[in-house]
Amino acid sequence: MAKVVLAPALTRWLPATANHSPGELALQVIGTDVGQVLQAVFQQHPGLRGYVLDEQGVVRHHVAVFVDGQALLDKRNLQQPVAADGEVYVMQALSGG
Amino acid sequence: MADRLLVSSRKGLFVLAREASDWRITHTAFLGDNVALALADARDGSWYAALDLGHFGAKLHRSTDQGQSWNEVAVPAFAEGDEVAVGDGKPAQAATLRLIWSLEPGATHEPGRLWAGTIPGGLFRSDDYGQHWELVRGLWDCPERKQWFGGGYDQPGIHSICVDPRDSRCLRIAVSTGGVWRSEDSGASWTQTAQGMIARYMPEGQQGDPNHQDVHRMVQSPAQPEVFWAQHHNGVFRSQANGTDWHEVQVPPSSFGFAVAVHPHDADTAWFVPAVKDEKRYPVDAALVVARTRDGGRHFDLLRQGLPQEASYDLVYRHALAIDHSGDRLAFGSTTGGLWTTDDQGEHWQALPARLPPIHAVTFA
Repeated sequence: MAKVVLAPALTRWLPATANHSPGELALQVIGTDVGQVLQAVFQQHPGLRGYVLDEQGVVRHHVAVFVDGQALLDKRNLQQPVAADGEVYVMQALSGG
Repeated sequence: MADRLLVSSRKGLFVLAREASDWRITHTAFLGDNVALALADARDGSWYAALDLGHFGAKLHRSTDQGQSWNEVAVPAFAEGDEVAVGDGKPAQAATLRLIWSLEPGATHEPGRLWAGTIPGGLFRSDDYGQHWELVRGLWDCPERKQWFGGGYDQPGIHSICVDPRDSRCLRIAVSTGGVWRSEDSGASWTQTAQGMIARYMPEGQQGDPNHQDVHRMVQSPAQPEVFWAQHHNGVFRSQANGTDWHEVQVPPSSFGFAVAVHPHDADTAWFVPAVKDEKRYPVDAALVVARTRDGGRHFDLLRQGLPQEASYDLVYRHALAIDHSGDRLAFGSTTGGLWTTDDQGEHWQALPARLPPIHAVTFA
């Protein structure tokens, strides 16, 4: 399973019902590309979709997604593969601060 | 008079209450986050706060306990294939919500109905307190919409929505930059009504084109709903013909500005906060004044008592001047975090003893 880590700047917007303590949130999800991995996260936390992606399905301009330490090659292409033991890190881009 | 004030700022929402003779901050929400505007819905007492998160986009929250707790609701969204084409030569882009730029309640007999204007220039309707939103296609699909362009922002936007108190099916909106539009059928069909406005930034021959008018803010008189006031990029305009047939009004010391407020019981009384015209945007001679007319724009009083008269670089944005239901109490906030209130229609102003973040919007609750 892939590991997804959501940065604290993102998880602080989870609703109270998510019962998440402040800080990073790490999830183990099934998926072979970035889109599948993110979709698995959104199934657990539907409200996060609009924080990570815009309504056209593109990673937001000021959100950064790293796959095994490398920035996503194309924010419009979520079909970039993720290894079975890969890690996807979702964080706020410093440009948007 | 209204005893509560919602101040939307670059670093949070500040809730102020009137105590004895002055205003105090009673609580805050979203501290540190960018709050674009707030709405206090008189129909059910709920409050809405529109956020403009730098990383994560535009969000909307609703409170039913006067700001003690907030729940996130949905935001307007464009559909796949929706495109922002503009009239100033920029390439077309896929439409994505950039900002909730206006938020207004429907009529009393329409509980839960909200209208939202956005950047890019979409008008959206919700009938369930913001849980779902629908793009008003009748406006979005007007061919003229593709000739709008951004004023200050990269993309055009709808900052003013007037739901007619005589008939809530009648809507008027103002666009920066795209003039004034009217629908008489709840948004199904639309007509451009900015005739009479003048866009002096356009080439000769196009200055009177209603679709190129950069309206900064438009308000409708509750007392005489056929009367409208508009602060425009090139001046102030007034309509006594239901938002058509606009006539220019000269405001001292400058007709440039963003905000306008109209007295709830007197259509001839209105307030403006003038600034040096467009490429400068600070108070004339760095002295902050409010201009008030009581006779429909023929004469203006310049109100200065209690306002800084030197070294003031306060600009007042389009949603940052508010008037309460009495018509005596006003408040305005500035880009440098100044907040002033009056209880006598602007004769005397009182500064809030605080150094607030840049203020985007002010509304009474």
